[in-house]
Amino acid sequence: MTLLEFARGPALQWAAVIFVIGMLWRTLGLLLMLRSRPLSKDRKKGLAGAGVKTMFSRFLLPKVFAKRVGFQYLLGWIWHVGFVLTVFFFQVHVMFFKGLVGFGWPALPNSVVLPVAAVSLGILVILLVRRMTNPMLRYISNFNDYSSVIVTILPFATGFATFTHIGVLPYETLLALHFLSVALLLVWFPFSKLFHVITVLPSRYILGVKFWRRGVEA
Amino acid sequence: MTEVITKQEREEAFAMFYGMAASIGELADPAPEMTDEERVERAKEVFLKGIDNNVAVQLDACLHCGACAQACQFFIGTEDPKYTPIHKLDLLKKVYKRELSPLSWLLKPFTPDITVEDLRNQVELVYDSCTMCGRCNMVCPSAINIGDLVSLNRSAMAAAGLAPAELRYMRDGQEADGTIFGADEDLFMFRIQDIQQKLGFEIPLNKKGADVLLMTSGLDIHLFADATGGAIETLHHMGVDYTLATDAYEGANFGSLSGYDATKKKLTKHSTEAIEALGVKTVIVPECGHSYPALRFGAAEAMGRPVNFEVMTVSEYFGRAVMDGRLKLEKKSHPKPIALHDPCKVGRWGGVFDEPREILKACGYDLHETESNRQYNFCCGGGAANFLLPSADKLKRVGYRVKMGEIEAAGAEELVVSCGSCRMNFEVGKVKAGDSIPVESLAAIIAAHLPKKETVEGDKV
Repeated sequence: MTLLEFARGPALQWAAVIFVIGMLWRTLGLLLMLRSRPLSKDRKKGLAGAGVKTMFSRFLLPKVFAKRVGFQYLLGWIWHVGFVLTVFFFQVHVMFFKGLVGFGWPALPNSVVLPVAAVSLGILVILLVRRMTNPMLRYISNFNDYSSVIVTILPFATGFATFTHIGVLPYETLLALHFLSVALLLVWFPFSKLFHVITVLPSRYILGVKFWRRGVEA
Repeated sequence: MTEVITKQEREEAFAMFYGMAASIGELADPAPEMTDEERVERAKEVFLKGIDNNVAVQLDACLHCGACAQACQFFIGTEDPKYTPIHKLDLLKKVYKRELSPLSWLLKPFTPDITVEDLRNQVELVYDSCTMCGRCNMVCPSAINIGDLVSLNRSAMAAAGLAPAELRYMRDGQEADGTIFGADEDLFMFRIQDIQQKLGFEIPLNKKGADVLLMTSGLDIHLFADATGGAIETLHHMGVDYTLATDAYEGANFGSLSGYDATKKKLTKHSTEAIEALGVKTVIVPECGHSYPALRFGAAEAMGRPVNFEVMTVSEYFGRAVMDGRLKLEKKSHPKPIALHDPCKVGRWGGVFDEPREILKACGYDLHETESNRQYNFCCGGGAANFLLPSADKLKRVGYRVKMGEIEAAGAEELVVSCGSCRMNFEVGKVKAGDSIPVESLAAIIAAHLPKKETVEGDKV
């Protein structure tokens, strides 16, 4: 078995299995935990609606915080959009998913996706450097923070290297490394802060409800 | 408005009170003795009891992005990374990861247990450098309720016998007899009789079946009689069937502020039982920020069942009366622009925003909003009883400066606030910074704008 065969075969398959089981385990574990319910009267009606509103309103930054947090919010936005576009709308990826699930969807031209991916990769590097150099971020950061960024950078970096054939390694090896980096991302995902993909919206909902009970839009 | 306390009287009372407040730490009983292991166990017990599904989801949603730091006045004012709000939850996170997380089986070997040193280091982070104002909640992209979780940390510290001496003293006193700063029933009666004499009408006491119960607080009894007097004068003016009560006059709850949950519950339960025995429909809590959530959202929790009375804060009750036409205020000319401070516990944690603004509008004030207002308001710097902590003096001044910076930028030359401890912190901050902006009670302002009316029942003729 060649490295490429291993990478796109057992490595990716086992990574996917670990990803699915890990995500289900952690999600179900959270769902099964007990919840306390307040007894006091709500100040406002429509709690669920307010919770849903907060789920979406937090995508935007309140104006009053713009000066101090605007830059990182903007980077976060661009990075996340870039990630989705690159993973799901890059032509080669669409073909890969078609082979996996049996159907495909329109892809974006390479002339669009590649710059998007480059910007996303650049932002990830900026975020990593910022975490290492900003005293506050460095102080609060732990292994999970650094490793999660690095594990997310790797598929982008190897993807670029593969597509552009940059580097001294043969194409097959680069492609295998790309698959392996994706496998690593999948394995790391459920056990790291990348899991926020599942928790971020419910977390916003929780605060939205909590504050609307008190008559405050969160 | 009838002047119930002169400026000079207030300044003298303030000097005396400030001296007394500054020494309470020395009066506190020694911290409870327990072994390091006991402290850690007790703290962990509180953490574990406090982590439910909602808390777990929120802890698992943290990205360590650091946005919360940029909302916190203590970080903004010092740039010290240790004051980053989410860092204050690290111990809680550790306990969660090791003991309760769905991944605890995997994370436990990599997550060291908390130690008594961790707990000792945590004291400054969750008392001195956090007023649980919750502004960080409003910027977090994951909307993590950091403010409430710091409160859980305070409970853990208190259980471990590590609450600051000043707060232990306050809690011990209130646990023993329900009073704060020695404002017992005698002093309460003295103050009420004093106000009664100045206002010139009889103040109803312990009147069963009255519509409204007005509460006060030790701070108002000692210092801010204009706030209590203003509320009484306005209720009388409106012809409301109200009462004060010797068994339910103290609105402050130092169990809540210090982290002693059993005391918090006991005090709220006592007030609730007394309120229910009186049979009033509405309770107005004093201009004392935390007393609002303590009773409004805590009464049902303390009793283990819903309660059958409404709880409003002073600004909310009178603001609504203005909004629905039950209270007419006299519009006067106020050449100086005024700023409104939204107390965190009443505003961000209570939803009372429009009411005080309507009151100021009805009085004819030119309200200059600070850049951060309503749910984004900055804390005064000394909330959650921090105004009593000498160890937090530097941070209080930092918080005051951030807040005052916004007030100055808004061009305001006067400040109105509906919370005694905010007012106290502003007054102390002013003295230390050499500022001179007048800080007024909203209740006193309302009373100062009551239109003259014909004598009502109970007035001295």
